[in-house]
Amino acid sequence: MADMAVQSDVMEAAGPYDRARALNAFRLGDVTFYWITRACAISVLLILGGIILSLIAGAWPAMKEYGFAFLWTQRWAPSADPPVLGALGPMYGTLVTSFIAMLIAIPVGLGIAIFLTELCPQSLRRPIGIAIELLAGIPSIIYGMWGFFVLGPFLAYTFQPFMIWLCDGIPVLGSIFGGPPSYLSLFNAALILAIMVLPFITAISVDVFKTVPPVLKEAAYGVGCTTWEVVRNVVIPYTRVGVIGGVMLALGRALGETMAVTFIIGNSFRISSSIFAPGTTISAAIASEFAESDGLHQSGLILLGLLLFVLTFFVLAAARLMLLRLEKKAGN
Amino acid sequence: MNDLSVSVSVPNAPALSGSSQADVPAKVTARGLNFYYGEHHALKNINITLGTNRVTAFIGPSGCGKSTLLRIFNRMYDLYPGQRATGQLMLDQTNILDPKLDLNLLRARVGMVFQKPTPFPMTIYENIAFGIRLYEKISRSEMDGRVEKALRGGALWNEVKDKLNSSGLSLSGGQQQRLCIARTVAVRPEVILFDEPCSALDPISTAKVEELIQELAEDYTIAIVTHNMQQAARVSDKTAFMYLGELIEFDETNKIFTSPNDRRTQDYITGRFG
Repeated sequence: MADMAVQSDVMEAAGPYDRARALNAFRLGDVTFYWITRACAISVLLILGGIILSLIAGAWPAMKEYGFAFLWTQRWAPSADPPVLGALGPMYGTLVTSFIAMLIAIPVGLGIAIFLTELCPQSLRRPIGIAIELLAGIPSIIYGMWGFFVLGPFLAYTFQPFMIWLCDGIPVLGSIFGGPPSYLSLFNAALILAIMVLPFITAISVDVFKTVPPVLKEAAYGVGCTTWEVVRNVVIPYTRVGVIGGVMLALGRALGETMAVTFIIGNSFRISSSIFAPGTTISAAIASEFAESDGLHQSGLILLGLLLFVLTFFVLAAARLMLLRLEKKAGN
Repeated sequence: MNDLSVSVSVPNAPALSGSSQADVPAKVTARGLNFYYGEHHALKNINITLGTNRVTAFIGPSGCGKSTLLRIFNRMYDLYPGQRATGQLMLDQTNILDPKLDLNLLRARVGMVFQKPTPFPMTIYENIAFGIRLYEKISRSEMDGRVEKALRGGALWNEVKDKLNSSGLSLSGGQQQRLCIARTVAVRPEVILFDEPCSALDPISTAKVEELIQELAEDYTIAIVTHNMQQAARVSDKTAFMYLGELIEFDETNKIFTSPNDRRTQDYITGRFG
């Protein structure tokens, strides 16, 4: 008892002073840390705002000149006097190539992910997984060259004639697949985009599929589900948010991809009904013309860039909305 | 239920009614059953018979192979490579271990309820209808009837009848577990396996589930793994004590809990190890 009293006296003598100082030091550290992290977060907002502002400033002359007609004008004649600029062709090309790319990449990507997580023998899992990661690591210019030298001739001289033969006489399909053969086409670009975004969809899907609790899958197998039924009714609904996130990431990449697309899309501002005809996308148009542009032409290209920005924003917003409605439907 | 289970409904006070159920027809029969996780010999020469419409409890310390045994009854182990079973295991006249057996059909006949509630990520209604739809094509109104019947069977109907379209995940833990039982019952299985069904539940939910298990035994053959000895005494007709992958003793529940033959059973139920 006496010992303890002595001890506590000593503690009291040294304790409060030291503790207060130590706490102060901590507090300083906390404040610094808070401001550093806050500055990091705010810098993102500043950069985003800065980019938008400079885009708007650069695009202002073109906006004043063409107004909303820019959106539905197909003609793109920068060397005419005065220059006539319209965004319809690049916008159409961007949306169509991304749409076709997603149409191909989503089922294939999910298929690979399902195979890898649910069906694949252990020995094949790593090789396929690594191959997909490598696919993501190939520089986009390589895809462009491959699309130009390999995929282009194949599409023009083998695949397109086959599709024309298949759809001969069918009204809408006939014109979608028709037209003269060309190495450079919307479809070629879409196919390359599909291959490029595939790793995103697969990698993210594999990751989220792995988060499904084994016991939940066992429960589904327990009521007698086949693997397909387990995947469709348990795995995919459970991981819906993550999968859609992966798809959106892929879509964002497809909408903005520049190098490979510029290589193989043909840079034609004319809208053709055939997906085997050359076209252009917003990013391809900017990449191929920006260096030689000035004045109103350059401002028009910047306005195109702003449009891509808005387009991407709307696509992402639509995806969020879709997700919310899905959640409501699922009753969460 | 028969008179026995009523009389043992008071924990630790099993009545002394005689062991008069030897003549119940067998539903599941294991003869010389062995199980391996890769090289590990997890179950050794198990011989056991589950009587039709009887509740059989499996007790024993963790890792003794109770859950493993349960997972053989519906071939759940098949999902994982490297796990295999040898010996003989019959469900009526069907050889459960037959590699050519249709597993989906087997699992429709042998339902399973897990330790943690596992509602599917869909509405309450769909959680039930989902399993039924796998096997039967029936009209919407017929389905409504089946869902109601299953939810009543799971003693859940009165609590959820006004919110059938809410997510199954919105229910409380105990309700989720009863939803899972209702889902299992909806498929009209013959055998229901319970793998520690109450270990994640509060005492009131546990009481409800136990009551439900007793009711279900009128129509189904039930096997239940539990760590709770009172629970085994309350709900089961027969009890199997397992230890280190072996079936040590299998007898009438009141016999096991009052005068076990084996020293190890005695030690376990009195809490000397395990």
